[in-house]
Formats: sequence, C-alpha cells, structure tokens
Amino acid sequence: MPMKKFINDPANLTTELLEGFALCYKGKVKIVSDKIVVRATPKDDGKVAIVTLGGAGHEPALSGFVGEGMLDASVVGDIFAAPGAPKLLEALRMLKREAGIVLVTLNHAGDRMSAAKALREAQKEGIRVREIVTHEDISAGVDTDPEEKRGLAGCIPLCKVIGAAAEQGQGLDDIVEIGERFNRQMATLAVAMTGCTHPQNGGPIAVLPDDEMEIGMGQHGEAGGGRSKLLTADETAARMIEPLTQATGVKAGDTAMLIINGVGATTLMEMFIVYRRAAQILAAKGVNVIPGACGEYLTVQEMAGFQMILCKLDEDHLELLKAEARTPYWTA
Amino acid sequence: MIAAAGADIRAEEKLFSELDAAEGGDGDHGTAIVTAFNAMAKADGDDFKTYLKNLSDRLQDEACGSTSTLYGTWLQGMSEAVPANASELDAGGVAAMFRGGLDEIGFVTRARVGDKTLMDALLPATDALAAAQTQGLPAMFAAAADAAEKGAEATGPMRARFGRAKNLGERSIGPRDAGAASMACIFRAFAKTLN
Repeated sequence: MPMKKFINDPANLTTELLEGFALCYKGKVKIVSDKIVVRATPKDDGKVAIVTLGGAGHEPALSGFVGEGMLDASVVGDIFAAPGAPKLLEALRMLKREAGIVLVTLNHAGDRMSAAKALREAQKEGIRVREIVTHEDISAGVDTDPEEKRGLAGCIPLCKVIGAAAEQGQGLDDIVEIGERFNRQMATLAVAMTGCTHPQNGGPIAVLPDDEMEIGMGQHGEAGGGRSKLLTADETAARMIEPLTQATGVKAGDTAMLIINGVGATTLMEMFIVYRRAAQILAAKGVNVIPGACGEYLTVQEMAGFQMILCKLDEDHLELLKAEARTPYWTA
Repeated sequence: MIAAAGADIRAEEKLFSELDAAEGGDGDHGTAIVTAFNAMAKADGDDFKTYLKNLSDRLQDEACGSTSTLYGTWLQGMSEAVPANASELDAGGVAAMFRGGLDEIGFVTRARVGDKTLMDALLPATDALAAAQTQGLPAMFAAAADAAEKGAEATGPMRARFGRAKNLGERSIGPRDAGAASMACIFRAFAKTLN
C-alpha cells in the first residue's frame, strides 16, 4: 500500500504538527522548549499541576487537553515514540511547586521507562511529584495483570477529573486518590478494521484482511472475540459493551459515561451508530448513562476502528466532569 | 568503537526496521537506532566517565522512544561504574563497566532473558565479558559477540512480552527481536574493532 499523506520532510513531522496545533489554538496553548505543550496562561502556582507524556502521530492526543480545567503540560516525543526522560524532567522542573505535580503515564513500555527515569531524578531534586499509571485496556482479558494492560483513551476523562480537582485547589494526595479510584472503575476495549502506514517510513502497521475486523488484541479472543468476519455496528457494540460492563462492574442503578474514540479512519456516522447501541444496552440494564463523547482524541494515523471507554462514576467524579474546562478538545 | 558500530548499524538499518515490523512493532527500530548512533557521534570527553555520560546525554536529547531511553540508561550506568578521570580501563574495569550499564537498565525495564527484547542479547553478552576477563579484551568481546548473537537468534521462537510487539501475542513468534539483533550487531562490531 503506497503512503498517501500531506506531509513535508518526514524528519520534521512532530515539530511541524505542534507548530500548527499551537497556531490553531492560539490563546489556549503554546509550545515551549520545542516539544512541551503548555497552557497559554499558566495556572496559579498554589495549585497542583497535571503533566503527561506520549509519542506523536496520535493527534490530537493528550496535547489536545492542555488548558484550563485539565492538563498543565503535555510532553511530546517523536512519531510513536515516547519523549526522552530529560525532556520530561525539564517539564517537571518547569512546573515545580509546593503543591506538587501529578504525572499521568499511559502504560506503554517507552513512556513508563522515561517516566521512571525522570521521576527518580525529580525526586532527587526535591520536586514533589506523584504518578498515576493508566492501564485500562481489557483487550487481553478482563482479569489480566494491570502491569500487562495498555493505557488507552481512558486517560482523557481521568485527566478531566483530576484536572478539575486540581483547579478547585484540592491537595496532591486527594487528587491522586480521586484519580486512582477513577482509574480502577474504567475500562477500554479497542476494535480495528484496517491498518495504517508509519508516516516516517511508509511501512504498514497492523494489516488486517479486507473482510475481517479484530476486537481486542485477538490473542485468544478473551475479550470480545478477537478476529472475526465483519460484524454490524449493533453486533460490534453488543460484543464490546459486555466485557466492559464486566470489567467496570457497572450495574443497575449506577451512573456511567461512555466514550467512543475514533482512531483515524472511522467516521463519526459509524461512531454514533455504535454509541447508540451501546448506550441502549446500558440503559436496558438500568444504568444511568450521562452525556458522553464521540470523536477522534487518541488516533493511530489512518487506521480504521475505535476504542470504547466505559467509566463507572462516583458522585465526586460526576461533579468534576461537569466542572469548567477550556481546552482545545474538551470544553465544559 | 562507537564509530565502527555506527557504520555496521547503518548498513543494517532496513533489516532492523523490517524485523521490528515483522514481530509486530512500529517498524521503525532501524530509524531509531541509526538516530541514536548519529547523536552519539557528536559526543566527546577526555576520560571514560565523561565520554560515556556525554554519549548518554546526547542520545537522550536527540532521540526519542524506547531505544533512546534504554541506550541512554545503559551508557549512564556504564559511566557511573567507571572511576573518575580514568582514560584506560583493564579487563576487569571493562567487565564492571558493562555490568554497571546492565544494572542501570534493570531500573527502567522489567524485561529479562526470554521476553524477546534487547535484554536477550545484552544479558548473556555482559555475562560473557565477565567470564572471559582473564583472557584479554579481544577474547572477551569475541565471547560477548557470540553470546549476543546466540541470544538474539533465540528470540525468534519467543513470544514478545514487552513493547508494541506484545500486542500481537503468538503472532510475534517467528522473526528475531529487532532490539536484540541490533545489540548483537553492536557487540560484533566491538569485537571486530578489537581484533
């Protein structure tokens, strides 16, 4: 499959996309030190800062949620590659404060390594920072060891919740408690329909046969059934919402939020059709489904498919989700 | 030695990317490891400690991703394991330097032999250096290169447990691990330089 993308020199992808992002959302975000996305107007130093890290090529990714009510900084790496520990450490130094910093790390090998190194250095320097690792992907099975589960788009509502708590002036330990509780009560399942090309070398990634799709990672089909012939939107929604319900423990009388994150080539039309069925199934179980989201947040180039995220909400989470936010990709 | 390894790595860039793609990674390990060597080529230092630290800093500043962090950490650990101001190291000092690098990597990854990562080449190579330290540097690095190649070869039938290839589960079985293959290439280049 030949690569068809609107790009310039593949070596400059990350720098150029961040330049465009900052120009487009002028007044909300800016880029400092080449690859650190920060708020245009920094938050009061007396409040806990929220920082995250991740590779590029997944736009808007977490940089889309830097702004009032959510993140203070997003440290960006290169295409599909975590930023190095020195860059992350630079961001932690920049945001050093008495109130402390929460670092949100998605569970991927490269991100975890950079975070581990940067955290060790930061602690040596007396920077007060605590880490929340998100690992809500149930693709390899609901009962998989959390260390083995990937962090997917569930980090976005988590950042909304802890970002709002930080904005209210809550303390570091309380914010971590709120975040970890949210972390335990959310789950994500991914489905893929077509692969994509690596924007730097044009190589194919995750190629699937024309008439097949894959729910989860398809190792043994633990969650959702693995590879299968194409299913309808309703069948797909049903097959995904069941393990998510099981993983989160959502039951009648609970309040929950459902998010569909398109990974690149799946249309909003499809996402809404799937959302509709998944929300209907939850409602039929007696679950109170609050307003959610369908859109492209954490993408993988032109890959077709989506991630379905289910979050069981406590009373405080509900309030924090409603709190004011003004970021490029989440406004409340 | 770094320059020689860099030349051999550049010659195999495409192979490393292909191996990475074949085992279920992003297919960019060749690019990553070449970027790492390009960054390291700019480092300098009058003694081992300074030079190794400079290599580590250059690499982590200019390259991203797991390769950057793993190699940066490896070099940092080596730097910490050599005495200050040393411009020459004996066989024992070299073995200790590589041991220090390996110990430091253990801080950032839980991967061990059998997980289909660069550790499958690096661990046996480091052990081989220590085991052969009475035989002089050329013999030490020849043993290390053999051990690293054997380790990399053994990753073929393994199922990946780290990195993106992990997501493929059993479908990651077959090709050698790209990170182990490039590590073996580096040890072979070291051995050739000393011979």
